[in-house]
Amino acid sequence: MTRIRLASVVVLATVLVLGATAAARGADGSSSLSVTVDRSQIATKLGQKFVFRSTITNSGSTAVGGLIAHLNVLSFRGNVYVDPEDWSSNRVRYLAPIPAGGSTTITWHMEAVNAGSFAVYVTVLSHELAPTAGPTVTVAITQRRTLNSGGILPLALGIPALLGLITLGLRLRRAGYFARGRSRAADVG
Amino acid sequence: MTPARPRKGTSWAVVFGQELRDLWMGGRGLVLSFAFSCLLSVIAFLVATNKALNFLEQREAVNLTLQVAIAVGTLLALLAAADAVSGERERGTLESLLLTPVSRFEITVGKLLATLSLWFAAFIITVPYAWFLGRGISIVGETILIGLVVGTVLAIFVASLGILISVFAASNRVSLSLGLFALLALYTPTQLPSSAQKGWAGELLLRVNPLTAGEHYVGKVIASSHSWSEDLAWLISPFVAAVVFAAAASILGARFIRLRGGVAG
Repeated sequence: MTRIRLASVVVLATVLVLGATAAARGADGSSSLSVTVDRSQIATKLGQKFVFRSTITNSGSTAVGGLIAHLNVLSFRGNVYVDPEDWSSNRVRYLAPIPAGGSTTITWHMEAVNAGSFAVYVTVLSHELAPTAGPTVTVAITQRRTLNSGGILPLALGIPALLGLITLGLRLRRAGYFARGRSRAADVG
Repeated sequence: MTPARPRKGTSWAVVFGQELRDLWMGGRGLVLSFAFSCLLSVIAFLVATNKALNFLEQREAVNLTLQVAIAVGTLLALLAAADAVSGERERGTLESLLLTPVSRFEITVGKLLATLSLWFAAFIITVPYAWFLGRGISIVGETILIGLVVGTVLAIFVASLGILISVFAASNRVSLSLGLFALLALYTPTQLPSSAQKGWAGELLLRVNPLTAGEHYVGKVIASSHSWSEDLAWLISPFVAAVVFAAAASILGARFIRLRGGVAG
């Protein structure tokens, strides 16, 4: 009799857990979460900072907690190395529970590190829920030379040369070089 | 004919003028400034030409150069300050200085102001580099102004620290070694991994340390385009340190400058 009661409790608990998960996932097994972004295209220059926002909506009938949003960056071309850490220093966000029918918006601050065409997207997941990816934001970054390196050489050589000459002149003056020169000139005169 | 006795309250200006002459006409200031300009030239040349660095945003290039200028400029002020009293003592000129009708407080103030001239020279040398690297994006004026304000505050703090060490050091070598060690120790938190700098303890360390707090503030305004008021709290420790250490150097200098170094005697 006790075994039957214990089995009933286990079955009931399993049903409740599965039910809650199913409610979050939706009746057909898909997640009740959706991710949208405020823009699909971004065009910028190398080295510039840019921002976009993603909104995570819970269309299920129960609140969902323990969600983690993750920002990803990849290049559409294979020959460009992408280190997402360089693009954004805060790529993982731990979200507060989203009530049934509620939503939360995240602002992502990024920096254009490489030139080319890149895909940026946000994924939301939790321990219980499979990852849900948002639409891709296509980022087109144009190359630019940030500095005109040619002009630095006169400056980089000129300032130390000027200070060096002043220092040398002062040392020679202290050593009496100029005074000796004048006295020699006076002798000749 | 005896030289005119300086008016009461202006004796520090006489000491200041004499120290300036010793520093600049003696050639030490010019040699240090020459070395500083060589370093800044290398940094600016690498920032502008190195392909690995050329992807840097222009603001970051200006920020890097300004931060190096502030760090090394304050180091120059420290070198001069650490020599101010212990150097005179070792060269045997402190006795004649103490016999002049100038109070020890005014001697300390005059010496402190003279050591700051090295920072101002370093700052003037930095201006053309900042202009070259920052032209075209309208940050040259902002860079010069923030460099002047934050750099001067940090230079006052570091030079006062150097004077304090110099007053109590038993020898000039000890004074210079302790000063350099203190400056390196103050810059150590910048070498912490970024994860350690982001925790509450790491951030507290960066905020309390005047040098790291000042450099952080400069970085936020120049590289991250923050407004001057946005991170103003980061300037609390540099300003407090400058006021406290300048007061301590003046007061303790007036009390403890003597012919033999050390606390006792």
